[in-house]
Amino acid sequence: MTNENLSELLGALASGDEPAALPGPGEERLHEILAELAQRPVPVHSLHRLWTLGELSAQIALAYGALWVRQWFSDAETRKKRVMETNLRLALSTFHRLGYLRGAMTKLGQIAGHFPQLVPREIADTLDRLQFEAPPMHYALIREVIVNELGKEPEQLFASFDREAFAAASLGQVHRARLHTGETVAVKIQYPGIARTIDADFRNLNSMLFPLRLSSDWEYVKAQFAEVRRMLNQEVDYRQEAESMRKASALFQPEDGVVIPRVFDEYSGARVLTTEYLKGSHLKEFLAGDPPQALRNQFGTALYRAQFRMYFAYMNYADPHAGNYVFLDDGRLGLLDFGCVQHYTAEERELLAVSEELIGGDEAAFPRLLELASGVRAGDRGSERYLEMTRRSYDWMMEPMHATGPFDFGDGGHLERGFAWFSEMVRDRMLRGHPTYVYFNRCVFGVKALLYRLRAQVDVRSLHDQELSRWRR
Amino acid sequence: MRITSQAKAATGQRILESATQLFQTVGWEDTTTREIAASAGIANGTLFNYFPCKEAIAAALIADSLQAADREFLCRPREETSLEEDLFSLIWGGLKSLRPYRDFLAPAAETIFSPLAQFSAEKTGDAIRVHHLGMVEQIVAEHDGTNPIPVVLLQLYWTLYLGVFASWAADRSPNQEDTLPLLDQSLKLLVPSLLQKGNHDERKSQ
Repeated sequence: MTNENLSELLGALASGDEPAALPGPGEERLHEILAELAQRPVPVHSLHRLWTLGELSAQIALAYGALWVRQWFSDAETRKKRVMETNLRLALSTFHRLGYLRGAMTKLGQIAGHFPQLVPREIADTLDRLQFEAPPMHYALIREVIVNELGKEPEQLFASFDREAFAAASLGQVHRARLHTGETVAVKIQYPGIARTIDADFRNLNSMLFPLRLSSDWEYVKAQFAEVRRMLNQEVDYRQEAESMRKASALFQPEDGVVIPRVFDEYSGARVLTTEYLKGSHLKEFLAGDPPQALRNQFGTALYRAQFRMYFAYMNYADPHAGNYVFLDDGRLGLLDFGCVQHYTAEERELLAVSEELIGGDEAAFPRLLELASGVRAGDRGSERYLEMTRRSYDWMMEPMHATGPFDFGDGGHLERGFAWFSEMVRDRMLRGHPTYVYFNRCVFGVKALLYRLRAQVDVRSLHDQELSRWRR
Repeated sequence: MRITSQAKAATGQRILESATQLFQTVGWEDTTTREIAASAGIANGTLFNYFPCKEAIAAALIADSLQAADREFLCRPREETSLEEDLFSLIWGGLKSLRPYRDFLAPAAETIFSPLAQFSAEKTGDAIRVHHLGMVEQIVAEHDGTNPIPVVLLQLYWTLYLGVFASWAADRSPNQEDTLPLLDQSLKLLVPSLLQKGNHDERKSQ
């Protein structure tokens, strides 16, 4: 998983919504830091690593503590300035340290990127530059991971195995290989040791967020973090990804135009995943060929159908960034990387059912949806704001459904309106929300940003109704 | 009576095998040279003709394994490999060859590789270092890297190597895989310096 959703979303928006560049002195400082980083050794001692992180947490907590105290005595304008200053300083410091720690520790940056409600924009933007990339692995290291995982060397397992990776993957890299039976496969290999760092990273992150514990919304934040932690632990276990791929694959027929690569179990384990290799282009290459509108619509429809089909099967394909889709020459859409897939619990299934009642026109379902989604009841103190924002988010999500005929995602207005309500929630720190929405929102914005880039026109209403009736059957 | 070199080698081998077994069952601390000699079926005094102390025995075990791993490394095809990859294979292959001795490796290595070690008349620990650094110099030269490698850089390399070695000896993760990123990142740190040319004139005299 990478933090590409956010960057994709930002990239998809008009230039006016681009994140502000760091101010001049900050940028200079950034260059200094980068130059210094290049000179610094990677900490090889675990104690040093912990100490560095401890220091980071303490710095962030202290900086914010100081800011809060100062804010009590500031007028509005200087307050804003100080928030900016503090954010920038922290962003640089965080960048510095995360850059220094590299490797698994950049996970922290990625996690923070999930929580725009908690992390000030300036920090999120800086962290966004740290899109998680596991360090590249040379073949000797690849061989060790494969031997550890599958008990044999790649030369023994495969008829051929490309020494160079053809793609970077979340937490590792992907190599092309050929099986002795002749199939061309993609072998995804995880950088060693990452899986075991997740829990430690979360402990550190928890202490970073210590000031939030005083907030009345802390329980919601805690539940959302627990969900991210659960999902990350799931994501580093490729056996679970293989299972998600099998489940998803069973949902599609050839006429759906959606392909999910077949998993080769005997060549897969917790850290190595071997799947069918799908030959095609990614979004950027596809768009470079200036495809006709009909083809754009065809792929857009397949993308939306895949999302609906899985949703009604209680699966959320929650990392829909461009790298996870392949545009096949025969017109089918390939879905890669099933590491970040939510499998809905009973509670989440109920949320889905109530949402469908509302979509079906039963307005009485709205207060129930509000309560399930944010724990807020109509009439509670402060509920009006949540009521209003939930209504706005619902209305926005429904825009494509209310169109007569195909909805034009190429018109950026829809995405911008979505970004507006989301930004408002972020600005107002509306932290209450069912933990499932961390990934639900990620999925919705991710898909819509992709459709915008694709300039696709999709008949969402009819797709929804078809998929809903399949679900009801 | 003169003993043949063959018989001498066989006795040496018997001592190593007995010692390994005792280190693994009784433990490093609790094994004495007297017990090793008894287990190998020789007199205590005879053992000292072969090894001056138990650290020397452990060092010989380590040296033998590492040299076998080095020979294996040299047999692998290396036409397409980078310096980083070669050094990784050399070090990790060596560590893997030491797996049977992991139980007692950490305490033994503490003495063997200590710069203050006084134990060995033959300085086996030092011999391991010299041999390994010789391999490194050879590999770096093959990759057209820094030549000669400055003493300071070699010392830095050896320090990192020992750090990786110590971490591996104490690594409880499956197949010691937590040491893999440590080794990988250590090499990423060091290899650029090993590939640098020039700027070393002042050290050439060393």
